[in-house]
Amino acid sequence: MSSTVIYHPSSYRDPSGFIFEKEGVIYRQVNTCFKEHFDHFTQSGCYKHLVEKGLLIPHEQVPENLTGDKSYYATLKPELISFISYPYEWSFAMLKDAALLSLQLVKEALNYEMILKDATPYNIQWHKGSLLFIDSLSFEKYRETIWVAYRQFCENFLAPLLLMHHSKQPLHQLQLAYLDGIPVDVASNLLPFRSKLSVHTYLHIHLHAKISAKKKNVTGSSQRFSKQRLLNLINSLESLISKLNIPYRQSTWSEYYDEAAKRNNYLTEKKKIFEQWINELPGIKKAADLGANDGEFSQLLAAKNISVIAADFDSYCINNLYKNVKSSGIKNIQPLIIDLSNPSPAIGVNSEERDSFIQRCKADLVIALALIHHLVIGKNIPFEKAAEFFCKIGDNLIIEFAPEEDEKVQLMLKSKKDIYIKYNEQEFLKAFDKYFSVIDKKPITSTNRVLFY
Amino acid sequence: MHSFLLYIDPGSGSYLVQVIAAAVLGVAFFFKNIKLYIRSFFTRSSKKQKDTPST
Repeated sequence: MSSTVIYHPSSYRDPSGFIFEKEGVIYRQVNTCFKEHFDHFTQSGCYKHLVEKGLLIPHEQVPENLTGDKSYYATLKPELISFISYPYEWSFAMLKDAALLSLQLVKEALNYEMILKDATPYNIQWHKGSLLFIDSLSFEKYRETIWVAYRQFCENFLAPLLLMHHSKQPLHQLQLAYLDGIPVDVASNLLPFRSKLSVHTYLHIHLHAKISAKKKNVTGSSQRFSKQRLLNLINSLESLISKLNIPYRQSTWSEYYDEAAKRNNYLTEKKKIFEQWINELPGIKKAADLGANDGEFSQLLAAKNISVIAADFDSYCINNLYKNVKSSGIKNIQPLIIDLSNPSPAIGVNSEERDSFIQRCKADLVIALALIHHLVIGKNIPFEKAAEFFCKIGDNLIIEFAPEEDEKVQLMLKSKKDIYIKYNEQEFLKAFDKYFSVIDKKPITSTNRVLFY
Repeated sequence: MHSFLLYIDPGSGSYLVQVIAAAVLGVAFFFKNIKLYIRSFFTRSSKKQKDTPST
């Protein structure tokens, strides 16, 4: 492990401090210029209160200048987040909860005469079954001025939520295109006319866009803005966001398990084989359930104390899974919207600010159940490329193969005559043999499908 | 000092929007509170009537 300091490529915006890695440990340095605010944050009891309420990541203070930097004031060792996810991978409900958490933090911090100086979803992560704010340097002393992060909040949280609410479409990928948030003028133009009938939406988006377009170089950020006025603003955002919703819509995959359960003993038998293998596998701590759907199998893994990344491209399934995980208090499932034929790329400055899904998702075990035929037939992805993708995610793989005689495969092949390879078990095994070796193979007797480990 | 406090651009016009929004919302919340007070007054009195045991 390197003893050199590795500066985190995304931690460069805020001069108050930065994230770095040394000897495999993640630290945060507080710079001297932020001393006054950081001291107030810890001494006023704000930090303790937020950590006790489970809203902020706890940290240990390390009494050492690990970077040797002249601007050093303090070193913090925050609790480690096992997996970093980004808002363009979150479901509607998760983004909504993150927005409400930011507003709650503003209100809580105000009780300690502090305020949130930035409002970006990248400062919020899913950790041990709930959303948590991870940047301890985002709190500065409240000086009765406007909320500096107001526009950032509107563009990063409010705009995407409103667009999804009004269009009833999962538009999470818009945040991939607009890394700094959807500009208010873009949101204002995309929103339907009826959105102007809501006072809150009109003020925070439409009027915001109109004034921003006209008033150049007028910020007035140092002028007095009372606490009551600020609270009016926060309460308005809170009341607007808490009413936003994306209606449940039956998608292609939302009823998958209900339908699958009806196929003789298919699901029961599959679960039985799966559980048997999981029990036999030693030392599995992290798993990636690709094509997780409603997370039936993710939950089986979670019950065995395995942390699971449950990824699926169907946003409705992932939204349901998120709500389910949240309400049942499951701490080790992270539901994410990932298109497996186009996983999140590396983006930002030098394309290294936000890592790709493949860079971040390192698991001991990959689960690909009832998935391969969708990738190969549905998306024309060669078996070999699919195998390479699974291999990049993890060393062990449990995969279900549906042969060409399978009813569902037949249906897919009927409408997909342009498939470039022969779809059969022999071709499948030949391609996967380059990356994995078969340890066990079990047929699901009620169907002609086979599970491989 | 302010150069570091404002490491993110609050946005041109953001001050004015916040001032206008806060003023409009102030009036809106004022009337909402009056409405809630009146509603709670009536629900309280009707509750009291219900709670009063009939003789």
